[in-house]
Amino acid sequence: MAARPIHRLYLPGAIVAAIIAVALAAPLLPLADPVKMEVPARLALPSLGHVLGQDEYGRDVLSRIIWGARASLAVAFFSAICAGLVGTALGLIGGYARGFLEIVTVRSMEAIVCFPPILLALLVVTLMGPGAATLVIALTILYAPGYTRVAFAATLATRGLDYVTAQQALGARPVRILARTILPNVAPPLLVQFSLTVAAAMVLESGLSFLGLGVVPPAPSWGLMIRGARSTMEQAPWLLLWPCLALTGTILTFNQLCDRLRDVLDPRAGSAGAGWLERAAARVWPDASPAAAPSLLRVEGLTIEIETPTARIRPVRDVSLSLAPGETLALVGESGSGKTLTGLALMGLLPPTMEIVTGRVLFVDRGGRARDLVHLPETEMRGLRGDEIAMVFQDPGSSLNPVHRIGDQVAEVIRAHRDLSRAGAAAQAVALLKDVGLPDPEQRSRAYPHELSGGQRQRTMIAAAIANGPRLLIADEPTTALDVTIQAQILDLLAVFKAKSDMGLIFITHNLAVVAEIADRVCVMYAGEIVEEGPVAEVFARPRHPYTAALIASAPEGADAQLAAIPGTVPLPDALPAGCTFAPRCACAAEPCHAAKPAFAEVSPGHASRCFRWKEIA
Amino acid sequence: MFGYALTRIAVALGLIWAVVTLVFLIIHFVPGDPAELLLSQGGVAPDPVAVTELREKLGLDRPILAQYVSHIGGLLKGDLGSSLLDDHSVAEEIALRLPRTLELIFAASLIAVLFGLPLGTLAALRSGSPIDRVLAGVAGLGLSIPVFVVGTIAILVFAQKLHWVPAGGFVPFSRDPLQHLILLLMPASAIAVGLGAVVFRMTRSSVLEVLERDYVRAAHAKGLRPSRIVLHHVLRNALIPVVTVLALHMGSLLGGTVLVEFVFNWPGLSGYLVRAVEQRDYPEVVGIVLVISIAFVVINLAVDLLYAVIDPRVRHG
Repeated sequence: MAARPIHRLYLPGAIVAAIIAVALAAPLLPLADPVKMEVPARLALPSLGHVLGQDEYGRDVLSRIIWGARASLAVAFFSAICAGLVGTALGLIGGYARGFLEIVTVRSMEAIVCFPPILLALLVVTLMGPGAATLVIALTILYAPGYTRVAFAATLATRGLDYVTAQQALGARPVRILARTILPNVAPPLLVQFSLTVAAAMVLESGLSFLGLGVVPPAPSWGLMIRGARSTMEQAPWLLLWPCLALTGTILTFNQLCDRLRDVLDPRAGSAGAGWLERAAARVWPDASPAAAPSLLRVEGLTIEIETPTARIRPVRDVSLSLAPGETLALVGESGSGKTLTGLALMGLLPPTMEIVTGRVLFVDRGGRARDLVHLPETEMRGLRGDEIAMVFQDPGSSLNPVHRIGDQVAEVIRAHRDLSRAGAAAQAVALLKDVGLPDPEQRSRAYPHELSGGQRQRTMIAAAIANGPRLLIADEPTTALDVTIQAQILDLLAVFKAKSDMGLIFITHNLAVVAEIADRVCVMYAGEIVEEGPVAEVFARPRHPYTAALIASAPEGADAQLAAIPGTVPLPDALPAGCTFAPRCACAAEPCHAAKPAFAEVSPGHASRCFRWKEIA
Repeated sequence: MFGYALTRIAVALGLIWAVVTLVFLIIHFVPGDPAELLLSQGGVAPDPVAVTELREKLGLDRPILAQYVSHIGGLLKGDLGSSLLDDHSVAEEIALRLPRTLELIFAASLIAVLFGLPLGTLAALRSGSPIDRVLAGVAGLGLSIPVFVVGTIAILVFAQKLHWVPAGGFVPFSRDPLQHLILLLMPASAIAVGLGAVVFRMTRSSVLEVLERDYVRAAHAKGLRPSRIVLHHVLRNALIPVVTVLALHMGSLLGGTVLVEFVFNWPGLSGYLVRAVEQRDYPEVVGIVLVISIAFVVINLAVDLLYAVIDPRVRHG
């Protein structure tokens, strides 16, 4: 949204500069004396001589507003600077020296924060009597801890960096290191803290003056002016209006400046979309052309597009696959190959930043109807999700909601699709947890996710996924986050469930050993495309794509295989080669491979490859 | 859970002791003689006889350790000393006024949460939309208007021009419940403007963050309704930082009541404090500062315990 936030600094910056300039120039401006009374003209309406009218003592309001700005800003800036100097120094020293000095400087400042701010200010006023000097002292004490905290945190982060250690090794004195090296690095957060403090100090100064405990009359201050106007606000409401507007406007501008300054200095804080709650749009028209109904699932020419600030990229291109009931299809590829996005697309769970631009996903539901999931209305899709189509995610630790009991998290998927009482669903959840091999399921169902081991969490996720007896289960690297021994147990568990039903399973993984163990057929994905598909035994024995061959060659024996030994890296979706996507890394690439894209062609019945030279790969 | 609560309570008691000691030390280590300081007006040297009298009355002539022990002893018995001006018991006056201030804070928090939480959630769910921008603008304004400006303008508009409500004052609940609540409404709303804006902002950013979490995707994969995902899975988690921020603002909230009580003539603790400060009635100021600081610690304790209810992970830590 805010592509160039630095632009957004100009307006509030200019207004703040103007306010400060007018306040500074007050003695030079042709203003009436702000304290000169003219009792006969009390509460006079605006006139040529007094543009904003006259107050309850006949003093010129415009002049008092401008001189009041001077008082308010002087107190605010002066105390923000004093607090900044004191607080930053303490934070730098505490952060650099640590140990005893840290306790003296940083921890003592934290004690101050324990006090409600205005109480502390009032305590100082009690001891010292009202006045601008008291205000500055009170506000300095109050706002120093903020700087200390910021400077301390930033110093801690900076002092461990190599260039600081290097200076220490060269024998630079601590003061020099602090001033020359650390201070410039902690300056941005301190700048934000400074503008925050000025705004906060203005609020507190005006509040104390309003109470009669700040700036001493007859000197003008916005807080005092509002206090004065209160007594006559029924006859002269405009007198109240001017200082209120001046005060609120100034604080608002400072706050805006702060917010935008923070945006500029901390670009992380951009605006996000509606997360996982919205579904990606389909930009392709429903394909009404008749197709032979698949036995369970057929994906045809699926292409997903993302709009990035620089370009539209397609992380998944022309993916086609099919699955029969009771069959297991492994989707294999390196990270970024588009396999997870393909899985999410089948669930209708692509984030709203993405679009499906071509293709259809035909799924046969329990009633035997083939439906195009890409164009299914969200309410109907929701009816399928968790019921006929379920998904198990990679990291069970983050996929379970930390604040709910695991039994409830299993029961809710049952109740979302079945008309069942709370107790009935809870009992069924316990039974499911027992089925997935959770020890002592009765009691464990009342546990929270953080009380379970990683393997137990994934068992829970599987229990929730199979709760409604899905026809299709998509497992996205369900064992990657687990120990090797636990991995084997989870794979066994999935195999047991598949044997019990005619559920189709799409198993997304980068681990070839797992593929050999669990899958009937395999789809190898590379840079967003399927490059080879076929029966597992045949593909492993006679790979017909150089990428598959390289994968198999590079996979070490054993369960913990990693795909790392192929030279080069996967091309980024915004920088794809003109010809075959694998050509730049391919050992057998020839002239045509760099010029044109090979088609996905059958090499033997049920076995296809996207390679010009598949015949030459043995 | 029990162990967690016990630890928190022990920490809170330690903090209260620290606050008591700190206030005691501030009074004694401020440069110059406190009695002299309190009696001096406009730079005129005070009467030495009066100073000696005050020193005796405050017990400042005794050794500091003895003063500290009797100070703590008095506090344990609930004795906060008596006013310098009229010998009125400070503890009694505070006991009368503290509930009124707490009521104001409670009502203000309630209004702020009632508006800030749903609107913050709405803005997050519709982030980037016109609704989101309008709400963000309103919240920015709410954060920038000082509470006494809101209060004063509210009196001008709703009491003096429209005559909907009285300009301020207080009627005990036992005497006239309805009138009591009507009089509570304006000061509580005035505080709620700024506080509601804080709750709104925090809720918005917190909900936005939680929406990106894996467990929200997992909940979606279960085929749950969006309303259930938001209420059951998102808000419960998003509330945790909101509660933190609300607790952090309790301090400025206690401060905010000083101004609001003054504006609306609400006879709470804070108005009493302002008067005590004006008259430099030292036992009164110390007593009120102590009580408010302790209330602050207790509120934070309550929030800590509330955490444990919202977030099961906390009970373990």
